[in-house]
Amino acid sequence: MSLKLTILLIFLAILLVLLSTHFLKKGRIPVKYTLLWYSFSLFILILSFFPGLITYFTNLLGFQLASNMIIFILIGINFLLIMSLTIILAGQNKKTTLLIQKISILNSEVHKYDSQQRK
Amino acid sequence: MLSVLLIIPAYNEEDNILKVYNEIKKYNKNADLKYDIIVINDCSTDNTSKICHENSIPVIDLIHNLGIGGAVQTGYMYAYKNNYDIAVQFDGDGQHDVNYVKNIITPIIDKKSDLVIGSRFIENNDSFKSSKLRRFGIRIISNVIKFSTGTRIYDTTSGFRACSKKIIEDFAKSYPTEYPEPITTAEIIKKEYKVSEVPVKMNKRDGGVSSIRKWKSVYYMINVVLSLLIIKIRRYEKCR
Repeated sequence: MSLKLTILLIFLAILLVLLSTHFLKKGRIPVKYTLLWYSFSLFILILSFFPGLITYFTNLLGFQLASNMIIFILIGINFLLIMSLTIILAGQNKKTTLLIQKISILNSEVHKYDSQQRK
Repeated sequence: MLSVLLIIPAYNEEDNILKVYNEIKKYNKNADLKYDIIVINDCSTDNTSKICHENSIPVIDLIHNLGIGGAVQTGYMYAYKNNYDIAVQFDGDGQHDVNYVKNIITPIIDKKSDLVIGSRFIENNDSFKSSKLRRFGIRIISNVIKFSTGTRIYDTTSGFRACSKKIIEDFAKSYPTEYPEPITTAEIIKKEYKVSEVPVKMNKRDGGVSSIRKWKSVYYMINVVLSLLIIKIRRYEKCR
């Protein structure tokens, strides 16, 4: 695996860490959502320090080039991140549905009370 | 006359909530400074709500479970809306003793402190101090807070604390949803409020289950430590 590739990977890992920390610092993302990003950055960093690992898996899995293997790994990481987003979204959806239902029920009770008061 | 509100977050505390309420009512009978209470029912699945309504205990029933942070913040919003001078976080499971509330609100009344933490670890006494593992975790958090803010806090996860009117407004507007006690303490210190600890005795948990379990504790620790480190590098608006 070439030196250029190693440097690129280290750069990517540091970029991800800086981005996550920036949003954390601004209070835009709570810590629990950044944990995944930090874990993957660490994973990419470790990979870049052990290029032997990448060459081993490149040959084992039948990829032509180390860079192809890396792209495959990064796509895999993306799938995991998107999956976690899907789960979070689903939770939000459920909460929103519940909120709509409860407010609607509250609304009708207020109307009922209102009309009773007028009589 | 000073107004004091006890914020009592409750999740599935049907075994304890009435006992807690009666103890406070008994205390108020002979007290000069009477405490108001508001129970925040965090969408309990047991009879907590029913028991509160049947016994005329002031209660807010959250329509969805928010966790300890969300529930307590609701209490602070209520305190802010009703103009309370002092708000006290008080557990609904019987661990806290209403007789110690006076100890934690006195420094605020005397204007010596803005946030007072009821601490289990200041004085050496024989009272219940929680398991060895939890105490170890609390000490780690204490060290990280010292690193992040320069101040040593001994009981970092104590849910028994009192705060002044200005902090009530602060908390009502923004409060973390998870691991609120160590995080808010660190943020309050960074905003240059006066924080102090007062020794109190707590009881062993009577019925019910603690909200922190074994493996989740590791996840909890990582989260809290990371959050506290972020607090170290964030910039905060000073309160004065």
